[in-house]
Amino acid sequence: MANDKNAGSGKLGTFGYNALALSIFILLWAVVSWISESLFLPTPWTVLKSFLDLCTYGDVEGINLGMHIFKSTLRIFAGFVAACILGIPLGILMGLYPRVYDSTKSVIEPIRFIPPVAWIPLVIVLLVGFSRYAFIIWLGAFFPIFIGTLLSVRSVNPTHIDVPRSFGAKRLYIIKKIVIPSTLPDIFTGMRVGMGIGWDCIMAAEMIGGENEGLGVMILKYAELIRIEDIMVGMIVIGAIGFLINEVFIFVERRVFKWKEAIVIS
Amino acid sequence: MERGDRDFLGGSMERELIDVDMSMKFDNLSVLEDIKFKVHENEFLVIVGPTGCGKTTLARLLGGLSKPSSGHVTIAGEDVNPKIHNVSFVFQEPSCIPWLTLWDDISMGLEIKGADPQSAETKTRIKEVIKLVGLDGFEEYFPKQISGGMKQRVAIARAYATKPDFLLMDEPFGHLDAQTRYLMQIEIMRIWEREKKTVAYITNNIEEAVYLATRIIVLSKLPARIKAEHSINLPRPRDLTGPDFLRIRAEITAQCEVVK
Amino acid sequence: MAGRKIKIEVRNLSKHFDDLIVLHQMDFDIYEGEFLCVVGPTGCGKTTFCNVVTGLLPITEGSITMGGEKIDFKKHNVSFVFQEPSCIPWRTIWDDVKIGLEIKKVPKNEINERVSAILDLTGLTEFKDFYPSQISAGMKQRVVIARGFVTEPDLLLMDEPFGQLDSSTRFYIENQLIKVWEKTKRTVIFVTHNLEEAVYLSERILVCTQKPTGIKEEVFVGLPHPRDITDPEFVKIRNRVTDLVKWWE
Repeated sequence: MANDKNAGSGKLGTFGYNALALSIFILLWAVVSWISESLFLPTPWTVLKSFLDLCTYGDVEGINLGMHIFKSTLRIFAGFVAACILGIPLGILMGLYPRVYDSTKSVIEPIRFIPPVAWIPLVIVLLVGFSRYAFIIWLGAFFPIFIGTLLSVRSVNPTHIDVPRSFGAKRLYIIKKIVIPSTLPDIFTGMRVGMGIGWDCIMAAEMIGGENEGLGVMILKYAELIRIEDIMVGMIVIGAIGFLINEVFIFVERRVFKWKEAIVIS
Repeated sequence: MERGDRDFLGGSMERELIDVDMSMKFDNLSVLEDIKFKVHENEFLVIVGPTGCGKTTLARLLGGLSKPSSGHVTIAGEDVNPKIHNVSFVFQEPSCIPWLTLWDDISMGLEIKGADPQSAETKTRIKEVIKLVGLDGFEEYFPKQISGGMKQRVAIARAYATKPDFLLMDEPFGHLDAQTRYLMQIEIMRIWEREKKTVAYITNNIEEAVYLATRIIVLSKLPARIKAEHSINLPRPRDLTGPDFLRIRAEITAQCEVVK
Repeated sequence: MAGRKIKIEVRNLSKHFDDLIVLHQMDFDIYEGEFLCVVGPTGCGKTTFCNVVTGLLPITEGSITMGGEKIDFKKHNVSFVFQEPSCIPWRTIWDDVKIGLEIKKVPKNEINERVSAILDLTGLTEFKDFYPSQISAGMKQRVVIARGFVTEPDLLLMDEPFGQLDSSTRFYIENQLIKVWEKTKRTVIFVTHNLEEAVYLSERILVCTQKPTGIKEEVFVGLPHPRDITDPEFVKIRNRVTDLVKWWE
């Protein structure tokens, strides 16, 4: 049964509407900053100028914006990959053998609820250099991936397991051919969420990292100097990259999992 | 317990395939009690009973997916075991695997039983069953692209592909609308007459039961016991509104207890 | 139908979704207090028809009027019984049945009176404090019937409510439904795929065509309740309706 209104495709299309929303936002920002005349609320074009300067001349220490972006992204991916390598197999294991999870809950769950930021003092003392960053980000990314995988394994459709079972399939076959493909979309979602949280932790990680390159570090440098427009460049870049990564994930998900049934209202 | 006329199928005594003599309890809840019957080769046995009376439990026991709490379900003296016996199951819930094309789905049973999916023999067999259920042309489709009735046909094709000794169908058309259901019943009959297999079919629709069965077993409410047994000797294809059909149907309907 | 008032008039009713014509120039009357069944091949827009009659979806052309006015939820009293189980899980049977009356702000003692009466009629009185999770599927549908009738609706619309029940329970509940209908004399439109059910329940059957959906024919079922499916008259009517629908062609 067709819907009366076709959601999401007015005259402009989604892309057009987004461009419009962005323009309106920038306009409002310009108006507010012009009216307030505060030193602490720069106009959009001031921020744009700082952005261009940071790209070409670099920050107060001469380090280029591109380098900051590169370093931060590297750290994120290191922590994220580590989280996947540990989180996915562990999630599958504990999903298949719930008793293991139930008996280790008292250790896992409390750790899960310690925010990455609270680990900072310990991390400063115990780790050095790159590993500090990677660990904090790993902590942020690990749990969504692990729990997401675990829950997905637990909620595999029992009929899908019954089908090979009724033919006498061995357990390994069922895990390989049914459990894994069935949980893949949810694992992917867990990865996307994990990446997002890991990215959230970049500031915390870079506060204690000790190096002078990285988007979070850059923001801190300018915080000390109270150069708001440069701080805002940092913030916007962080937000934009996070958004982009998320969209890439979603794009891949849609392509790879085209067998997933859309929710049909009929 | 009543017994209808005992008739011999096809003029000669058909071999007994499965021997059932068991009870089933879940914790302290008795679901099936003293269930004792035999399934004969090439018969189309239909088990009816009110909703929730343990029919699905019985189906799973017959198919070797569960073990009875007491007693046995055996083929030639051995407990029914999908790893040893060639048993196929058509489930009530849509059982198409979402990420497999219809072709891959239908070949799953054969693959598990050790057939080489690339061999000419396997491919021929798969093509055969796809044709049998009338799904030619849809081999590369995904379940989300086909209707409920078609999904059940895939499940039936998958079940037939392995040339099973015994076919179990647990209310396969329960989730389809009445009209699609009528069509599928005719299909099932056509398929069964082409490739005669031993079938145990579970349903709560008595009209469907009388249409399909060579023999009907009626279960009572929980804890389920065998209430009655009927041999159905009407010629095929059966006329849903024929007087004999309606008479038998009314008789069985009266025996089926209403779960109020 | 002799001697009956017309309750609802449907004139030249059409419903389009962009280019897709679903309902096409449907023209018929619904009489006061009748039990009308609507049948047709799968996908013939029966559900769209329901949604349009009750005003959930706007009409493209034509009119549906009750007493000369367009059907309006706030003014007219229309009840639905859905196909899917629709008992509210956190309400007891008593609370579930009274929900329509609550919404219409009926005074409390009148609610008690009416709910007791309908529960009595549907045989649910001893279960009034039970929750949906504690009762059988057949009983849940009885609750849904009680809920539909208790508001004394101008129109009760039922969309395949018994599809999920087994044969025996289905006959039992169909008989219950007729009992309640005969007692309360409500106007009922019952949509179903099951032709035997249509012949078992209704006074009049509207057979719809495939899209663009129109009325193919109306069939009168003049048999007394409760009906006997083995009765040759019943069989004759059933075969006639089956021929008219002929979904496999």
